[in-house]
Amino acid sequence: MATDTTTDAPPEARVDIEAPPRRRKRGSWRATSGLLATPMIWLIVFFVAPVVMVGLYSVGALTLLRLDDYLSLEHWQFFLASDTYLGLFWKSVRMSLGVSITAVLLAYPVAYLLALIAGTRKYTLLLVIIVPFLTSYLLRVLAWRVILNPQGVFQSFLRSIDVLGPEQQLDWMYNSTFAIYLVLSYVWVPFVALPIFVSLESLDHHMLEASSDLGASRLRTFWTVTLPLSLPGVAAGFIFVFIPTIGEYVTPQLVGGPDGFMFGSAITSAFTAGLDWQFGSAMAMFLIFAVAVLLAVFGRFLNVRSVAE
Amino acid sequence: MGQFDSVLRNEQTRRRFLQSMAAVGGMGVLAACRKDVQSADPGGSSSAAIPPITQETGELRIHEWAGYEAKWLWRDYAKEGFPEPDFTFLTNTEGVIAKTAGGYYWDMTHPEIGYIQDYVDLGAIQPWDTSLIPNFSKLNPMLQETGQLNGEQYEIVLDWGYSGVIIRTDEVDPSINSYSYLFDDALEGHIAWFDTPWILSMAHVTLGLESDPLDATPEDLKAAKEYAIEKKKNLHSIWVDYTQMWDDVSQGNVWAAYSWPDTYVVLKEDVPVQYIKPKEGVFTWAEGLVLRSETENYHHAHAYADAWADVEVAQRLVTTWGYGHANVDLDLSQIDPDVVDVFGLDDIEGSLSSGIFDAYQPQRAEYNRAWDEVKAAPS
Repeated sequence: MATDTTTDAPPEARVDIEAPPRRRKRGSWRATSGLLATPMIWLIVFFVAPVVMVGLYSVGALTLLRLDDYLSLEHWQFFLASDTYLGLFWKSVRMSLGVSITAVLLAYPVAYLLALIAGTRKYTLLLVIIVPFLTSYLLRVLAWRVILNPQGVFQSFLRSIDVLGPEQQLDWMYNSTFAIYLVLSYVWVPFVALPIFVSLESLDHHMLEASSDLGASRLRTFWTVTLPLSLPGVAAGFIFVFIPTIGEYVTPQLVGGPDGFMFGSAITSAFTAGLDWQFGSAMAMFLIFAVAVLLAVFGRFLNVRSVAE
Repeated sequence: MGQFDSVLRNEQTRRRFLQSMAAVGGMGVLAACRKDVQSADPGGSSSAAIPPITQETGELRIHEWAGYEAKWLWRDYAKEGFPEPDFTFLTNTEGVIAKTAGGYYWDMTHPEIGYIQDYVDLGAIQPWDTSLIPNFSKLNPMLQETGQLNGEQYEIVLDWGYSGVIIRTDEVDPSINSYSYLFDDALEGHIAWFDTPWILSMAHVTLGLESDPLDATPEDLKAAKEYAIEKKKNLHSIWVDYTQMWDDVSQGNVWAAYSWPDTYVVLKEDVPVQYIKPKEGVFTWAEGLVLRSETENYHHAHAYADAWADVEVAQRLVTTWGYGHANVDLDLSQIDPDVVDVFGLDDIEGSLSSGIFDAYQPQRAEYNRAWDEVKAAPS
């Protein structure tokens, strides 16, 4: 037999149900704090504290070896006065910009196809695009070495159809800047496609129909309606690529040849071969500042936040 | 700032400073993980405090190069019935020093002799008691001397080799016999360097500069750096993965490469190659086992080092991997005459003394930054 628990409940339980708003607020505050505590602790321990420690290393407040000097801005001064390291920073920025733009250009048609053309098969196709990325990042990059190198799949194929002579090889294809751009763009395309896909999928289709009803061609509808409304997704995708690739060093090292030395490589080199943690930390902190500034600029001009809305 | 500086130089107050910093913003969690190995006694534990082997756990933790965990390298240790060591793997010695400074624990690791000073400065290692290693008397004394610091044997030097040049004899004239192969304009597009500041030292000896190539004067270091930058245009690649370099030499993409002798051992049957020990003096490295100051497996560690020092291990190491071994009782008749010749195994001391031996580099940061400049320069 069902019982009315509200009316049959003991007095103290009724009091609880009818608790004044203030008490409910406190309970809600506790719940919010409880929920926030884990991510906050995670962020503090694994993000804020390490960044603070890197900052302390950069000025020598912490040191790796006891022979190091304590408290000095020498490494910051050396870095900021160095054409080599600042040059590497700008080289990485250029590479990152190039890769981000390429990835966006490649990802947009993919996202468009999935969101607006593929219909009911879109999630199956999305899965197909994502599947190769379930394998190791390193394996995918190494696979490109097999494809691009002079005796590799691509150039051997060109020789077999007599596009290349037996002794000819395409030097620009491997151990080159081209190879870095190609491999990094390949690696990041799905990460750019996803936010653009989300952005396109949430488009109000009535807007596209209205544009068509008003006589706009499909191309004009794309330029004046679809593209502007999907720009927040494009911006988010661009940032997803730009931020990680600016510190990238593994891929350039594996496929970039003698010119594959980037700002991220210099930071790694200082922390490893150089045992120069002060200098490496100064460069790492500079990169963090630079990325924060660039993020602020992107956030201001591209209104990335609207992607989430 | 000077006052603050002096406070931080004092270990006790510095630690207190670190503790108060750690209390801020959750840093305590990370700071607590940071074992202050820097305050340890560099002299290590005294033998009086060492318990007998029966009281040791025998659970050795060895931080090794990948491949060096192979059982045949410590076969005699295994035969004694000791527990199998727990191997973890390193990719470079600098990384191990950094991890060790951060509190990472191992009983033994395998650094090059140029880093012994760093480990001693950290207080991370203690001298070996060579009387507990029966095979020690069979190890080349000249090599063992390189494992000493302040008269103490901090490293049992076990394996060694050269950093010379492998050349394709169908493309390159072997009679030049010089590190100049690595910079030669005639080999444009077919040279491979290893990613190491030693390239600067090789440029240094190629230029015939007078100062110590591993501890050059600022002027000589600058000259070597500028020479390397000028010749960077001749490169095919700067390798980090030696198997890739083997492929490039084998396929004819690379005609001259910085390499260790194992490249020669691997390729000599299939490709026309020659291993060059340049006339300027070949750069020679050596490495071996160092013992953690706080090890609780002192006797087990000595037994393990003794197994590595055995002549059968030496024989197999030289034959199959193409690295040198410090044991002087090698049976040369069982080794490929080519390998004997390349290593100069019939006159090890003569071979070693004619080379430029690896050593502690006080200017490591300067060399590394100069090397960064070379790598950052356009080719």
